[in-house]
Amino acid sequence: MPSDVETIARENLSAALQPAADPHEIQLDIELTDYGLTSLQKVLFLTRLCEDLAVDLAYLTERDVAEMRTLHDVVDTLSRHAGKAS
Amino acid sequence: MTDSVINRLVAGPPAPGHRISFIRLGSRRTLDLTELYEQSGHVAAYLRSLGVESGDRIGILAANSLEWVLLDLAALRLKVVVAGFEPGKFTDAGELVARYGLTVLFTDQDVPADAPAAVRTFTDVAEAAGQAWPEPPGPVVYEPEEVTTIKFTSGSTGAPKGLGATVGSIDASMQAVQEIFEHRGGDNLFVFLPLSLLQQRYWLYSALCFGHDATVTTYEAAFAALGTARPTVVMGVPAFFEAARQQISQDAARADGVAPEAARRAAARRLFGDRIRYLWTGSAPADREVLRYLTDAGLPIYEGYGLNETCIISKNHPGAHREGSVGRVLRGKEVLFDEDGVILVRSEHPVNQRYEFAEPGDSERMFVADGVVRTGDLGYVDEDGFLFIQGRADDVIVLGNGKKVIVRPIEEHMRTSPAIEECVVFCPAQTSLVAVVSPSSDTADLEAIAEQLARTNASFGRDEQIRKVVVASPRPSIANGMLTSQFKPKRQAIFAAFQSEITNNQDGIHAQ
Repeated sequence: MPSDVETIARENLSAALQPAADPHEIQLDIELTDYGLTSLQKVLFLTRLCEDLAVDLAYLTERDVAEMRTLHDVVDTLSRHAGKAS
Repeated sequence: MTDSVINRLVAGPPAPGHRISFIRLGSRRTLDLTELYEQSGHVAAYLRSLGVESGDRIGILAANSLEWVLLDLAALRLKVVVAGFEPGKFTDAGELVARYGLTVLFTDQDVPADAPAAVRTFTDVAEAAGQAWPEPPGPVVYEPEEVTTIKFTSGSTGAPKGLGATVGSIDASMQAVQEIFEHRGGDNLFVFLPLSLLQQRYWLYSALCFGHDATVTTYEAAFAALGTARPTVVMGVPAFFEAARQQISQDAARADGVAPEAARRAAARRLFGDRIRYLWTGSAPADREVLRYLTDAGLPIYEGYGLNETCIISKNHPGAHREGSVGRVLRGKEVLFDEDGVILVRSEHPVNQRYEFAEPGDSERMFVADGVVRTGDLGYVDEDGFLFIQGRADDVIVLGNGKKVIVRPIEEHMRTSPAIEECVVFCPAQTSLVAVVSPSSDTADLEAIAEQLARTNASFGRDEQIRKVVVASPRPSIANGMLTSQFKPKRQAIFAAFQSEITNNQDGIHAQ
């Protein structure tokens, strides 16, 4: 059963991809770059996702962003901070 | 040199009342420009304590930060030359010290235990900035031909070429830009591209000299920082604005019960903040549709054109802009064309006359005469003085995402087919390649050409895919002006003859 964080992350990633992918079809352990996400698009995706999860971006560093290579990484990292809004 | 921006910078502190912010994911720091200037004096004293003297060269290998800016200003105040190295493109600090004759190299990366003593950390710079030193740097005055920094060209093969940028060229570019954009007290210029690119430091010099705010962040943090920074001007590149357009479009599409235009404008404000006066794009050709979209969303965006070797050549701006062009040529620059239609640029104050670091022959190929640079681009100037760029004359194409594609191998691969006599590759929309093929006979073997297209695309990378082939009819010849007397294709003539087929979405053999 996916967590709320995972569900919202899937929806945001789906919206960030061109063409948009079915959120349910997105695989957690596929590299985001393999989905065609550029580094800029990754930051935009994370920015929107943090807004939706009420996670303050201040909790993330550039290194954190670089190390979030899959949706699984994103869900794990943001789950730790979910609810910590600015 | 009463109008010299550089000499005004080093003569004394800026007028009070403006600030600079440094934003990273997870941190933000703001200080008055007067405080920035004072701290640069501390760093200058620190550099002297390390034995760095006027005429020496220091290296900076680091992401954008306060310490980066302090080192640059300190170096200016000591007449020390800065060599900025973009992290990721340059890696081995010890090797850089040796190759570029650096007295010291500062980095924000971990310094291995076996690194040369000349490699120092940004932590040292941060400490020095916070200390009072007994002797602030004395006054210096620059002559126009003196060099303040080494610019590195992002070459597609081999080691990057290094070029000394003269004070005269920096002053001329900054004065020309200030004349057309009038950055002033209420402005906040947003800088996220690497500070190793000298032009990005122009916006900080502008803040200090002309009196306005600035925000410095990194490429990775740029979109996250935009909303809180609320800049009036954003200095970007096509790939950044393409990503912005996609995000605005997505956000607008999710807005329920709002008219599309209003939704677009609201989404644009959400991403860029509510104070944008204009957006600046350059470094690579911009997609016209992206420019139009952002402008319609309330974000006027102006494209320009320039090379490392020339600095800014032309620029669209609020007072004079034309869709599809890269603007009118700036004061102090002159655009000429050689017999092939290749753009030559003469500058009143050239960046330099030759490379400082390059392979034999590189300087002679680029710097063709006194103050004249051969750009390698094809173009023309319309009757109102607007410059249009048609593509690269040589074998390198710069895509909108900044990637460089060498087309000659692609063209040669296409020509391995017996059905193809000549092949010329263009990049009309800056996102994908279009090939014009001269068939081996008047009756073109379309099936064989299509098969070769598939073979060639299979042999090259993602950014090197040919989207479609236009089969030239009539075939290029010396008689019709599309081949030189040595039977070499004249790219501009071929482009002009088949421009409609090249740029539309219908004609040609399309890749599967």
